Amino acid sequence: MPISPEHAGRTYPPAPAYRVSTAKIAEFAAALGDTNPAYAGDDAIAPPTFAAVIAAHAWGALFDDAELGLALHRTMHTDQTFEFTDPLRDGDDVVATLRIERVRNRGALDMVTVVVDLTVDGRSAVTARSTLMHTREVANA
Amino acid sequence: MPEQVTVGQELPEVRVTITRAGVVRYSGASTDFNEIHFSDRHARAIGLPGVVAHGMWTMGAGLRVVTDWIGNPGGVLHYFVRFTRPVVVPDTDEGVEVVYNATVTAVAGDVATLAITARCGQDAVLGAAKAQVRIA
Repeated sequence: MPISPEHAGRTYPPAPAYRVSTAKIAEFAAALGDTNPAYAGDDAIAPPTFAAVIAAHAWGALFDDAELGLALHRTMHTDQTFEFTDPLRDGDDVVATLRIERVRNRGALDMVTVVVDLTVDGRSAVTARSTLMHTREVANA
Repeated sequence: MPEQVTVGQELPEVRVTITRAGVVRYSGASTDFNEIHFSDRHARAIGLPGVVAHGMWTMGAGLRVVTDWIGNPGGVLHYFVRFTRPVVVPDTDEGVEVVYNATVTAVAGDVATLAITARCGQDAVLGAAKAQVRIA
């Protein structure tokens, strides 16, 4: 059975903690072409959208869940929301927990909204909500 | 930090150029190695004209229109975008330019809401993009 609205609410065990480092922050800021001084030095914070890198790792649970029948290469990212409580910082061990929030099926399309809660020391730092459009493989008639 | 923030205020425009090398750099930094970001063959297989930038690059680079203005990126509270059209990146030294603009749409206490646009040529590449930031 492919993914369906009944899967809304399914939560996956957290991914192993991700350690934020100054080197990775610098790499990511450079890839955005962003020279904001907040991303450098001893008190470096990560660019806000760096949260997506950790959230996307957590999406692995979704594609590994055989019951859902989702394939990454047939998936498009259609929208993205972040709610920031605290910036991610050098040295943070970030724990990402994935939850399926909403599923809509339209013909061969599955619209899946997933929420990844990123916590540091048990406190919520960033919530990343993503809508993914998945095209189901249709058997040849 | 801006001194005064009023509804209707326009933020300074930000223009960002992306080349194939830049797309590869973002793949590495983000660890998103989807083939459509380096292979024209894979991009065409799913109906794209060629290699495209990561949607998350378009979103992340665009936040600069806001963070260059407020100074402290830690002041961003909320950021939403819809990925409406891909940024197609030609295999040229010049690459392609994305132009970001933002307007203040609301101010409530120390929080400002901004509507953000992103254009690549004639295409709006982000839709309904908005951010909320702390301004004090």
